[in-house]
Order: sequence, then structure tokens, then C-alpha cells
Amino acid sequence: MKRLALILILAGASAGDLFAADSRAAFDAANRLYGQGKFAEAAASYEKIIQSGAASPAVQFNLGNAWFKAGQFGHAIAAYRRAEQATPRDPDVRANLQFARKQVGGNLSVTPGLAQRTLGRMTLNEWTLLAAVALWSWLVLLALGQWRPAWRRGLQSYVLLTGLATAVLGSAVAADWAVNHSPKTAVVIVAEAVVRQGPLDEAPAAFTAKDGAELTVLDERDDWLQVGGNPQRTGWVKRAAVTVL
Amino acid sequence: MRDSSLQNSIQSCRPKYFGRAVLFLLPWIALAIAPTALLAATLTATLDRDTVAVGEGATLTLVFEGGAPKNPPPLPRLQNLRVTYSGQSSQFSWVNGQSTSTVTHTYVLTPVQPGDFSIPPIMVDVDGKTLSSPAILLKAVRAAAAQPDAAGAESQLALLKLVLPKKQIYVGEIIPIELQLYVRDSVQNIQQFQMSPFNADGLAFGKTVQGGQRQARIGNASFSVVPFQAALMAVKTGTLKLEPVDFSMVMVLPVSGRQRDPFDPFGMFQRGDQRRATLSTEAATVEVLPLPDGAPAEFSGAVGNFSLNLTAAPTEVAVGDPITIKAQITGRGALDAVTLPVPATWQDFKTYPPNSKVQATDALGLQGTKHFELVAVPQNAEIKQLPPLVFTFFDPEQKAYRTLTQPAIAIQVRPGATSASGSLVGSKTETPPPAQDIVTIKLRPSRSGGASRPLITRPLFWAVQSLPVLAWVTLLVRRRRAESLANNPRLRRQRQVAQFVTQSLKDLQTHAEEKNSADFFALVFRLLQEQLGERLDLPASSITEAVVEERLQPRGLPAPMLARLHELFQACNLARYAPVKSTQELKAFIPRIETALREMQEMKS
Repeated sequence: MKRLALILILAGASAGDLFAADSRAAFDAANRLYGQGKFAEAAASYEKIIQSGAASPAVQFNLGNAWFKAGQFGHAIAAYRRAEQATPRDPDVRANLQFARKQVGGNLSVTPGLAQRTLGRMTLNEWTLLAAVALWSWLVLLALGQWRPAWRRGLQSYVLLTGLATAVLGSAVAADWAVNHSPKTAVVIVAEAVVRQGPLDEAPAAFTAKDGAELTVLDERDDWLQVGGNPQRTGWVKRAAVTVL
Repeated sequence: MRDSSLQNSIQSCRPKYFGRAVLFLLPWIALAIAPTALLAATLTATLDRDTVAVGEGATLTLVFEGGAPKNPPPLPRLQNLRVTYSGQSSQFSWVNGQSTSTVTHTYVLTPVQPGDFSIPPIMVDVDGKTLSSPAILLKAVRAAAAQPDAAGAESQLALLKLVLPKKQIYVGEIIPIELQLYVRDSVQNIQQFQMSPFNADGLAFGKTVQGGQRQARIGNASFSVVPFQAALMAVKTGTLKLEPVDFSMVMVLPVSGRQRDPFDPFGMFQRGDQRRATLSTEAATVEVLPLPDGAPAEFSGAVGNFSLNLTAAPTEVAVGDPITIKAQITGRGALDAVTLPVPATWQDFKTYPPNSKVQATDALGLQGTKHFELVAVPQNAEIKQLPPLVFTFFDPEQKAYRTLTQPAIAIQVRPGATSASGSLVGSKTETPPPAQDIVTIKLRPSRSGGASRPLITRPLFWAVQSLPVLAWVTLLVRRRRAESLANNPRLRRQRQVAQFVTQSLKDLQTHAEEKNSADFFALVFRLLQEQLGERLDLPASSITEAVVEERLQPRGLPAPMLARLHELFQACNLARYAPVKSTQELKAFIPRIETALREMQEMKS
């Protein structure tokens, strides 16, 4: 039985290595295409890597670069945004996202506030792990107090501190989710997307959004997304014209 | 070139038809004399005429915009030219939310001898900056004497002059030139005028701007002068010929009094006599000198007179963070051609070509400010300062190269996340990323963990988080139960008895196997005592068979139960005298004991 388990573990590990090796080879091949100036082909290769389940911030970043060089600013911004969600402290990602936004001349007015900047320093998962550590510490201290009631007085301040940390970090998780994940963002990936007043082809145009414009998704209906522009303009845009983060 | 505004201006100056005094609208004092223009202060100096008769006054106007000196600027003393300060006026204007203030000082220049007077550049300090005006020429002629260079001019209705402030300039130098259209006061109007553009091989011209109209006198004749100004820049050396400029127009002359329409005695509807005229300037030459040898290494071709100002922010950064450096080069010269080379001493910084914007302060674009915005990224934490920035230019007035150096700016660079921007794997020709471009691709695929699903959407995560909650709840319940037990002796005794019963039933089996009748029945007796004592809340030692009659029977318990208890007590008593029993016999007792115990446990305490 033990031998069988060992075989299964080794088989799983080697399969994982093979998978990683394949991904690495594909990644290097895509990088070579990029280096040869075949940006569209490089972008397609990076997309394949992501579809194969080996998405990583570096792949998203390189995909953004490839799309940018191919002149697809909307796709590039979307890829940079995904990379930023995974590695918010990567200066390269921030620089390229900023650069791409400047190229499309949009969304620079969306200046994040202090809270958003603070939340943006870490990923949602990092906030979550921090909150989990605080929660575990708090509950372990509470449990110790139940197990050894005599220790409760000594643990009181630590319980208070960890409880406070849990509350703050839990709120940060909730806020980060609410700010960065709950309202989805749609990035325009066509030269000019017509945002209509209703989810119909015949509906009059409310405004147009150019390639790379970042819009907040408010609602969805069939092939249409209700999006909010800036300032306070809403309308319906076809799904095919945007990519949703 | 056609310009209807010229026609209007000529018309407006005819005192004959528009002799009424022009009323100057008093400017509104802006509600807030707020941001008086963030633009740099400027100074312009104009003469209302360039030729006057001896004893006649010409008005010199100094206009300060965006800032003015506290006192009237003194003019340099010139021999045979009397200068009288006439006064000061101020004007505020508010256009598109931006206010501008203009302060005008006027002087009357009266020559006492004929001759050419050159008023040198007037230097005025305004808000710590020195403003200067170009040199101005004034010609004084004897009254009623013909000018030697304008022979026959008095008899002409219009003439055209090209004025070059200097005949010798340096390559790259930019100077203003002026085309002056002289129109006799007797001309009522001019129409349909056309002007050929300035043209010369090796000279570049800026846009042509019509200047303010003034009066001039040639001999005894009075003319209105309409100036057309343009900036001229030499792009190659040598003696360059400026082609003649042609100017054609139709002049409208007043009809004589005898021809006037009796129905229009004031001539308001008279069209006048029309006369076509074509004027040309004489060809002029400009000697363009090469820049002298010995240019400093930092010289990048700027010619003029400039000042340099520099700011940098933020000054406390991490490695890889950008520092924005804003440089302003202000002065007179070809600002469009001015560049800001990054010196080699900035090798510890990653820099990008600066963005630039020219903000001219005069209509010709001869002077103003060029704003540069440069991004420098420190590459290591050992950097303590932004090295000095050096700007070199050639000053054509002083005929020398001048170097401006901004002192080093202290900065603090702390270690930070490095910007990993390597080259491609397998790429043999490793080229650095192009300037002002995106950061190049990453060469190593990072772990995919960061891009994975949020933890809070995974059930396993919540399952793991529930473990400490469960642990805490379990310990909480345990403590509560312990406390409850400690405060309830009957409950504690009940638990202890229950535990004792469970253990004793096992011991009974053992005793039966061992045919140990004495211990078997002693234990049965103890079981009865403990269970009944617990139920009746009496000490176990006080429980005997009599209790059945005294305590249990009054409670109305079922007779079979009472009988069973009697039987068990009696068996225990009997065993003291006849202890030998077989295993089967002993084991046969156990179910009865269990039944009796169960009945006692079900009994209300």
C-alpha cells in the first residue's frame, strides 16, 4: 500500500514537472517570437499558455507587451490589469499599464484614493492570508483562554490586539473585494465601441468608447453589458467589443 | 498676403473722417486679481514714429505684461535727445478665466539736433528677473528739410521699406525684421492689397505679424506707417540675399471739393478716386557668420541669450522610482531649436528623452520659455544627488559661448524593488529597450499562484478557517460544562455513579467468571447503595433494604421494581452466609441487576 502511494506521488510529481517544463518551453518560444518582432504571434502563444492553465503574472505581463506592440492597446491594458491584480507591487507592470493608458489618452483621471492605493499594495489573496493569520491567532488565544482559564487575564491584551487586527484585515479583504473584484471592469478592445442607451442594436448611441477605455460593468444581459463610463455615463455595449477583467 | 484688418486700421487713423477722440474703455478690475498669469513677465518697447523733426516729440511706450517694476524705469541718457516721462497707466484683463495685468510707461523723446539716435536695450528688473527690450532707432531731421535718403518720398503717396536691425548675424541667430508700409495721410483708404512672402536662400522666416500703426514724418510729409514683422533665422553662413518684397494695393483718394455730390455734402457716400499701386523693397543682404571655434563640449546649437531654472521631485525615492525633473530655459533666441542634453555624469540614472513645450511671450516667438520635463530613474541606492545640469549657448551680443550650470540637487535613494527588465533568452542581438517605451518582457515565468482564484472563493479555504473556530467552540463548551459540574454536586455525583455503574457491571462479569461470590455480591450491594443513594440524595452508606420500604414505597414506584430490589438485597445478605455459587448462577444475576439499575436511573430523584 505504501509502495503504491509512493508510486502515485512520484507519478504526480513527474507529471507536474513535465507540465512545468512544457509551460517553460512555450513561454520561451513566445518570448522568442516577441524578440523577432512577431508580436501578434507572440500574443497568441502567451494566450495559449494562459488557456493551458499556466497563467502567471509574468505571462500576463508579456502578453500585455505583445498586444501593446501589436497596437492592441485594449488587450494590452486588460493583460496589464490582470498582471497588476496578481503582482500589485511590480514596478514594471505599473509602468507599462500607465504607459499604455497614456497612449490611449484615457483613464488617467481615475486617480485612486488613499484607501484604494493602500488596498492596491497587496493582492486580495495576500490580504486574505494576513486576515487568516490574524483570525487564527485570535481564535487560538481565545481557545487557550478556554483551555486554561487562569491564563485568560494574561492573554487579554493579545486577544484584544489580534481581534482588532482580524477586524481591520477582514474589512480590508471585504473592501478589496468590493473595490477591485465585485464591480467588474470591462476594457474596450476594438477601435471604437458604441455604447448604446439600451441592450439593442437599434438603440440610440449614448457615447463611444475608444480602444483601451476602462469601463465599470454594472449589469449583464445576453450579449450585452451595461457599463458606466466617466463621468457618470452609462450604456450598453456588446460583449464582443470588450474584455471583462 | 491679404489682410482686411490693415484696411480697417488705415481707415481708423484718418483724422479727417474719424477725428473723434478714441475713447478707451476702462478695464474692469477683475473681482480677483488672482493668478496674474503664471506666465513670465515681458517687456515691449515701441515708438509711435521712427522719424521726427527736430523739436518734435516721439512717444516711447514701455509695456510690461505679467509683472512691472515699482518705479518708472530710467532711460539711458542720450546726447541731443531730451527725455520726458509722461506717465503710467495700468490695465487688467480677464479672458477665459485667466487674468493679465499690463503696466504702460510712456516717455516723450524730443531731439534737439538732427541725426540718428539709437536707444540701447532698456534693462529692467522685475520680480528678480532682468527684462530687456531691443534697441530702438529714432531719426531726427530738420524741420522742412528733405531727407537725404528719401528723395522724392514727399511726392509719393505710399512707399515700402525693409528694416533689418543688423546686417551681420550668426548662424542660428534669430532677429526680427520689419517691412514698413508708408501711406500718406492724404490717402483715404487702401484696398485689395497683396504682399509677397519673405524669401531668401539660407534664411528661414517665421510667421508675419502686423504691428501697431504709428505716424512718421518724411521731410514735411506726414505718413501713417503700418509695420509687418517677422522673425528671421540664418541657417547657413555667407552673404545671403534677401529678395525684394512686393506689395500691391488700391489706394482710395478723396475727390476734390468741386466734384462733390450736392446730395452728399459731407462726402459720406463718396467712393473716392481709386488708384492701383505696386511697391517693392530693395534687395537686402545679410552677412551670416559661422559660430566661432572653441565651443564647449556641452554646446548643442542654442544661439541667443537664456537663463536656466531647474526643479526635481520627489527627492526621496526608492531605486527604480522615477524622479521628474522640470527645466525651464527662458530667454531670447530660437527656442524651438533649444535642446536639453543629458550629461554623461547622469550614468547612474535611466533617463528618457524629455518632453518639451515652448511658451512664447511675444507674437514673433523671439522670446519666451521652453519647458522640459525629464524623467530620471535612479539605478542604485548609492546615489546621493542629481548631478549638475549644464546648458551651453552662444550669445551673439557678447559674441561668446556661455555655460549655465544648475547645482546638484540632493536626493535620497533607498533600496527598492528592482525593475527586472532583462533581454530575451536566445536573442543574440541584445538591444536595450527603446526610449520612452514600455518595460520589456520578463524572461522567467513567475509562479502561477498570484494569478489564481481568490482564496475567499474556495470552499477549502473556509473549511480550514473553520478549524480554529471549532477548536475554540469545543473548548468553550468543555469549560462551560466543567464549570456547571463544579457548581452542581448532585449532577457530579450522578456522573460519578453512572461511571461507577458502568465500570462495576464489567467487574461483575469478571467476578462471575472467577466464581468469586463474595466480591460479586459485595459489589452488587455497593451498586445498589450508590445508585439508590444518588437517586434519594442520601449517603450511600446509609442505604439498606429498609430504604425500599421507607423511601421508595411511599413514592408509588411499581411493585415489580420494589420486589426486584428486595430480592437483590436479600441475595446479597444470603451470599454472606452461603457464598458458593456457580458461574452460571452468578451470571444469571447480572441481567436482573442491570434491570434494577436502569429502573433506578429512570426514577425521579
